[in-house]
Amino acid sequence: MTSPTDTSGTQPSDTHAAVSARVPLWRDVVVLKWVTQVFLLVVVLGAMWFLASQAGDNLRARNINTEFDFIERPVDIQLGEGIDTHPDTGGRALWTGMVNTLRLSLAGIIFATALGVVVGLARLSDNWLVRQLGSLWVETLRNIPLLVQMVFYFSILTTLPRVGLDTGPINGWLHISNKGISMPRVFIADGFYQWLVVVLIGAAVGRYVHRRRSRIHDETGADTSPVLWALGTVAAFGVVGLFVHPAFSWLGGVFGAVAGVLDALPLVVPQILLCGVALGVTATWILRFLAAHRSARGHLSLTDDDWFRVLFAAAASLAVVYLMVRWTGLSSWILNSGRDLFEVIEAKFDVDGAARPFDAMRPDIVQKGKFPNYGTNGLTMTLGFAAVFFAVVFYTSAFIGENVRGGILAVPKGQTEAALAVGLTRGQVLRRVVLPQAFRVILPPTGNQYLNLTKNTSLAVAVGFSEIVQVGTTVFNQTGRTLPVVAIWMLFYLSCSLTISVIVNWFNVRMKLVER
Amino acid sequence: MTENPTEANPLDPVADAPADAPTGAARDLSGARDVIVCEDVSKWYGDFQALDRVSATIREQEVVVVLGPSGSGKSTWIRCINRLEIHQEGRIVVDDVELTNDLRNIEKVRSEVGMVFQQFNLFPHLTILDNVTLAPIWVRKKPRAEAEEQAMALLERVGIPEQAAKYPGQLSGGQQQRVAIARALAMEPRIMLFDEPTSALDPEMIKEVLDVMKTLAHSGMTMMVVTHEMGFAKEVADRLIFMEGGQIVEQNTPEAFFSNPTEERTKLFLSQIL
Repeated sequence: MTSPTDTSGTQPSDTHAAVSARVPLWRDVVVLKWVTQVFLLVVVLGAMWFLASQAGDNLRARNINTEFDFIERPVDIQLGEGIDTHPDTGGRALWTGMVNTLRLSLAGIIFATALGVVVGLARLSDNWLVRQLGSLWVETLRNIPLLVQMVFYFSILTTLPRVGLDTGPINGWLHISNKGISMPRVFIADGFYQWLVVVLIGAAVGRYVHRRRSRIHDETGADTSPVLWALGTVAAFGVVGLFVHPAFSWLGGVFGAVAGVLDALPLVVPQILLCGVALGVTATWILRFLAAHRSARGHLSLTDDDWFRVLFAAAASLAVVYLMVRWTGLSSWILNSGRDLFEVIEAKFDVDGAARPFDAMRPDIVQKGKFPNYGTNGLTMTLGFAAVFFAVVFYTSAFIGENVRGGILAVPKGQTEAALAVGLTRGQVLRRVVLPQAFRVILPPTGNQYLNLTKNTSLAVAVGFSEIVQVGTTVFNQTGRTLPVVAIWMLFYLSCSLTISVIVNWFNVRMKLVER
Repeated sequence: MTENPTEANPLDPVADAPADAPTGAARDLSGARDVIVCEDVSKWYGDFQALDRVSATIREQEVVVVLGPSGSGKSTWIRCINRLEIHQEGRIVVDDVELTNDLRNIEKVRSEVGMVFQQFNLFPHLTILDNVTLAPIWVRKKPRAEAEEQAMALLERVGIPEQAAKYPGQLSGGQQQRVAIARALAMEPRIMLFDEPTSALDPEMIKEVLDVMKTLAHSGMTMMVVTHEMGFAKEVADRLIFMEGGQIVEQNTPEAFFSNPTEERTKLFLSQIL
């Protein structure tokens, strides 16, 4: 502060020094801040350590096993539906449950969004009847508990006719009964992954086509519909790929070679690599951070909060390094997982050249003893899935509808008037002026609804749909590993929610209005 | 889109109008074409009559300033002329196109008539340049490069070409209003409507907007301006129209209007504002 070039003069600096010398420690804001930060950190870490050790002691004393060994052990579970209805291990059973939850959530998010937009627009409609119907939908569905709705839909669906060997409505093509809805299924066959490579190339070409058509539009003003052209390109590649996909079977060898390399790598390579990445990323972040807080004259001004962030980042990267060096198991796990992944991909490409990318099957009904039931051929939506699906979609659509309505109302009327006044049509006003602005308002609360929807699917346990909570309950009833299963549940929902949050936040930042 | 390309385009953004071009009462517009014709236009909001048999004709290149106390129907009238408000009785004909429920007529009129609002109403999610080029690209189907070139020329004309890449939220009120004028001019309108363009501005920014409007008036644009700026009205207007209670009370040249008003209500109004 008191460098000779300091033009502010020495007088104020002296005064400042004199004042700071007189402040006792317990009144110094800077000291107090640091003490609080460190104290808080120690308390939090200490509490965590205390709780963990206490829990460990108690669990040991009561002989409660917290091992995750059930993941590899055989279980005797039959699931209502999913990728594997007779899973051979606990891990496989939980995985089936996760896939069911993800399917339900993804389908729910898509349909709830579409329906929510319709409901929101309906509530803004000029048509009296449409407006009233929209209000009725929203007010009814958001005011009845989700669980009640779920059970209600389930009990309605169970009144459907019982399944017989020749139930319709279109026997052999579409079956609707109290066992669910079954229809023809298109599924991925052996040649799919080779075909996927062709489509990916098509996507790259489509991107180029999109850019080119956009440029032509900018240069000539002609209507070039770039999106349509891009989609057309991808579709064309998809169709051609149905015939030429065996040409890419050699890719299997490439993936196999990568797997071999990963297998042969010594442990020290991922250790060095990850340590390097951790240190490198942290160092660049700290350097950038410091550079951003340096004034034009080279004076570094960091608040205590900034200092704490820098120190915390450095400590975190050192912790990563320590972990990688001390825990060699982590490195070998990374290597092995990588090798397994590439071996799996290699196996996907190692198929008969004539294999088709897709296959289709018609739904079937099989007689087991006295009871006819749906076979595994068709695409079957069980009553459980349907009840949960309709419940979360209807329930969430009411909330999303309100978000959409609020978002559109949040765009000032003057925007529409100005857009109409320069000659845009109603559709262009909506597309180019109102919706881009409304979207910014709609997105954050709708992201919350996506999180809610995903978490709400856990209520499906009430109607016996085999999602992660229901499957997990069965698994810990059989194996007695309650805590590990609950831990897996929490981790699973946490990762789902964080993924959705990250995506929504990314959009949010991109769409932000620039002001000042 | 002028039908006659040989006619001097008054909107050529690069052609700066001579500052001493005649406007106001010095001009004789008796031979000019009628571009806005209103016949007995009436409008009600519920029981309240906002416009009461308003009849007026505005000639090509004429600058008309509409005055009146607030709630007198000035804004409603001007907004009826490009159908942002719908009149319930009477006829409005703009550039030989009558405003009816026919969507094609409405869109034709709107693309011929530019409008500037009190609250600017720039599109906050688009840059200044995109604000100006939006309509030329999507309504006139101009190539982007050409639209941008024209937009830059217009921004030059209103004096803020250096702001092209910024967003409306980063500009001052006066700059925003000038962008709004450029946006309206980008559609090459034959008529410009101004709805209290300076009422939302800080005093020191009013002048920069009025200067742009004066230049526009000198370049021969047909203008209809609702404003409380008496200086502008005196200097630039060919005709003043005084409204009250949804009716046209008096209309005259600025000189006659200010020095020798005939109606009692006009005298009262003038005594309150001058």
